[in-house]
Amino acid sequence: MQILKVENISKTYGIKKSSKQYMALKSISFEVKEGEFIGVMGASGSGKTTLLNILGSIDKPTTGRYIMDGKDVATLSKNQLAEHRINNIGFIFQDYNLLETMTLKENILLPLALKGYKVKTMEEKLFNIVKDLGILKVLDKYPYEVSGGEQQRAAACRALITNPKMILADEPTGNLDSKSGKDLLDLLTFINKQYKATILMVTHDVFAASYCQKILFIRDGEIYNELYAGDSKKKFFDAIIEVMSVLGGEEK
Amino acid sequence: MKLTTLALRNIKRNFSKYIMYFFSLSFSVFTVYSFLALMQNEQVVMAFTYDSRYRSMLMSFGIIIMVFVMFFLISSNNSFIKARKKEISTYALFGMTNGKIGKLLFLETMMVGFAALVMGIGAGIFFSKLTAMVLLEISLVAFTGDIAFSIDLKAIYITTIGFLAIFSFMGLSGLGVISRFQLVDLFKGDKLSEGKSEGSIILLIISLLLIGAGYYLAASNDPQRVVMAAIPILVLVIVGTYLFFWGGLPKVLHLIRRNKNNYYKGTNLIATSAFSHRMKSIASVMATIAVLSAVATTAIATGFTLYRNIEKNTYDIIGYDMYFYGGQEDVLEEVYDAFERHNIDLIESYTTDRYQTTPQMETLMVEGHEYLSSHKDYFRVYSQSVYNKLIFLSRSDSEAIQIHPGEGVYIYSFYGPSNISKSIEDAVVGQQLIFSNKEIKITSVLNSSTLSFGALHILVLNDSDFAALLQEGDISNVGESGEPYGQATVFQYKNPLQAHDLNRELDQILRGRVGSYRIAYNHYIESMETFGLVCFIGFFMSGVFMLMTASLLYFKQVMAAEEERHQYKMLRKIGMDSATEKRVIVKRLLPVFLIPLLLGITHSMFAMKAADTMVFSNMIPVDNSYFTVLAFSAVMYSVYGIVYGIFYFITKGQYTRILR
Repeated sequence: MQILKVENISKTYGIKKSSKQYMALKSISFEVKEGEFIGVMGASGSGKTTLLNILGSIDKPTTGRYIMDGKDVATLSKNQLAEHRINNIGFIFQDYNLLETMTLKENILLPLALKGYKVKTMEEKLFNIVKDLGILKVLDKYPYEVSGGEQQRAAACRALITNPKMILADEPTGNLDSKSGKDLLDLLTFINKQYKATILMVTHDVFAASYCQKILFIRDGEIYNELYAGDSKKKFFDAIIEVMSVLGGEEK
Repeated sequence: MKLTTLALRNIKRNFSKYIMYFFSLSFSVFTVYSFLALMQNEQVVMAFTYDSRYRSMLMSFGIIIMVFVMFFLISSNNSFIKARKKEISTYALFGMTNGKIGKLLFLETMMVGFAALVMGIGAGIFFSKLTAMVLLEISLVAFTGDIAFSIDLKAIYITTIGFLAIFSFMGLSGLGVISRFQLVDLFKGDKLSEGKSEGSIILLIISLLLIGAGYYLAASNDPQRVVMAAIPILVLVIVGTYLFFWGGLPKVLHLIRRNKNNYYKGTNLIATSAFSHRMKSIASVMATIAVLSAVATTAIATGFTLYRNIEKNTYDIIGYDMYFYGGQEDVLEEVYDAFERHNIDLIESYTTDRYQTTPQMETLMVEGHEYLSSHKDYFRVYSQSVYNKLIFLSRSDSEAIQIHPGEGVYIYSFYGPSNISKSIEDAVVGQQLIFSNKEIKITSVLNSSTLSFGALHILVLNDSDFAALLQEGDISNVGESGEPYGQATVFQYKNPLQAHDLNRELDQILRGRVGSYRIAYNHYIESMETFGLVCFIGFFMSGVFMLMTASLLYFKQVMAAEEERHQYKMLRKIGMDSATEKRVIVKRLLPVFLIPLLLGITHSMFAMKAADTMVFSNMIPVDNSYFTVLAFSAVMYSVYGIVYGIFYFITKGQYTRILR
């Protein structure tokens, strides 16, 4: 089932029709189906963060349609957007973005608390996810008291707890060592399989990208290539490296 | 030279942070200068400082202000430095020594301080006429002279020296703060809690017990005990307040966090956790603000209540616009002439004989002392109709009375504490006064000096009893030697408290020529001088306290906002809409302002209770004078609350602006 559809999205920064104008995205179109694990790759400045911000409805496209749930998200008002985010989208950030003032548990419950859930429902939901993601023991600790990997898992719990239609992950492994990074990727795969969560991950890490089922390569604000994972992870990995080297090579 | 440029650039860049700091700094300079200038002002010197009481009052007020200004400046400077931790650590990272950083900050402090000094003194000079006028207006009714606009060199000199000393001290204490910074803090940044405290239930209980004990002592009805307990009350309440904010409030927050049903509502979760995250760093500030608010509100409430009751109190004591007794034949004509000459409407005057009587009666004891006996004391005696006539002419609250034949009303003319009046009433009511062939029973007791005209004990009788006793010779207006007791004349006239010239002339006519005289105006003026000064100091002091405590809170919150900014950014990303954000901000900021204010006002209410027991219950002759006092205080509490509220909204605005 199709979960979101992006039609000819463009994003322009700077004053219109002036020389300073800069197009970060140039009429991009694609679809995401339910349960997909998609990677978005590209060099710095290629527009991948802009795309993620638009998909996360933190930013608005200059032109184009972004349809989710039968609604054009681009036309929603600011408060409707906030509601849209809390209901449909879960975020995982590179620097975790947990609130230092709260325990991990409170951080994870925050989106539910903002939606006004009952305590009992919240705790039931929490227990299952936390157990699956393995941070049960550190729940009552504060973010600065636990490791980066645990913080990122807590952030993943927070993204997951509202049963969002889509999880957006912005370089989730960027701040983690390779072991924690691999753990997190396994976790995302687990979430993708177990919770049937649709995940869209922006990364420049080839290893992280090789966990995805499909990869969109972006260059200069346009979709340059698409890759699908085959049976062999090794082949997929090599294919990604190949595309990336072309991308990188042509940039210079 | 480079350091100076850097300092200037820092000020420019941190302008929005500096502006509030600058204003409160200027205001403290303004306060100190104005105060010093007032002390030097010729008119004020003439009006007040000849009396050593007033001089010491003004002096101690000056010292309190100075100490407080110093406390305020140092603590706001230190939190200002802390807020720039990142910037300072960066300097250190690039190899600036602590000494050099200290020098840089000192330069900045001096630049801002110097500007504030100029601004504050400038404002002080500009408003010098106004401040002197306000002081003289509210405390000296009789003052009619012209107040000059003045530049006081001595005050400028002292203010400048004083503040330069404070600034240097600030620089030193800032250096202390810097040397305590650890470079590694830069990398941990804001992630580390400023010291989360779970509080302690024991501290919570102890703090409440201490405050409660203080309240209990303050609420005592025995003035002697209240006076004795004044210092213990202060210690109990102040220690209790600090313990409450250090250990009690964190515990309360901790308990709130345990009540999941309430705590896990979105806005509560964010606001409460953020508040308790900062608890430790703000606890002392909040406690200080609670105590200072209590002092300030008590000061203005006391001043205001006294001030508003001066007129009433004057008439409670004097009774009439004017009266005198003895020497009527010499002065009465001159007095009438004076009214004519000053063109003041004499509404009515009335002359009565001062009758006395000494009936046989038991010797009465009150609290172990001989109170009333027939061989030592006499009664001033009035018939009911004369009494009612005099009451009608007086401006006191006394009411006309109706007395049955055979009964008498006893009035004592001195003011004592309320527990004494009960003993007197118990002793006197039911007493039989035995005259030659008549007995009068005392049925009720009043307390008023309106009819005393020199006597301590007053008796009012039914008209026919009075006539009969006069006939019998039991009541007489001549002494045993045949010397008459003289008459008393009371006056009621238009604008008695404003007619300065008439009152002054009456004073001259009557002085030394009559038995005794009282003019309401004189008493009024005298009270105004004392209480007006108290009131003025109260207003000035609470103004200073309020501005500084509120701006201290402002600093703390604005600096917290800088650190909390990224949290709100993150919250917006996970879908907090702007309405929720507004609610979160209110819930986050309101307690910081409201809790100290409410606690301070509660303290003040008990302080007013103590003040009522000591002072007002004698001044305001109502059954429960505390309610009257509270009503007057409530006016001042609201004024304080409103000004405080304005600061809250300014802070909220700035806080919101930083988050966006």
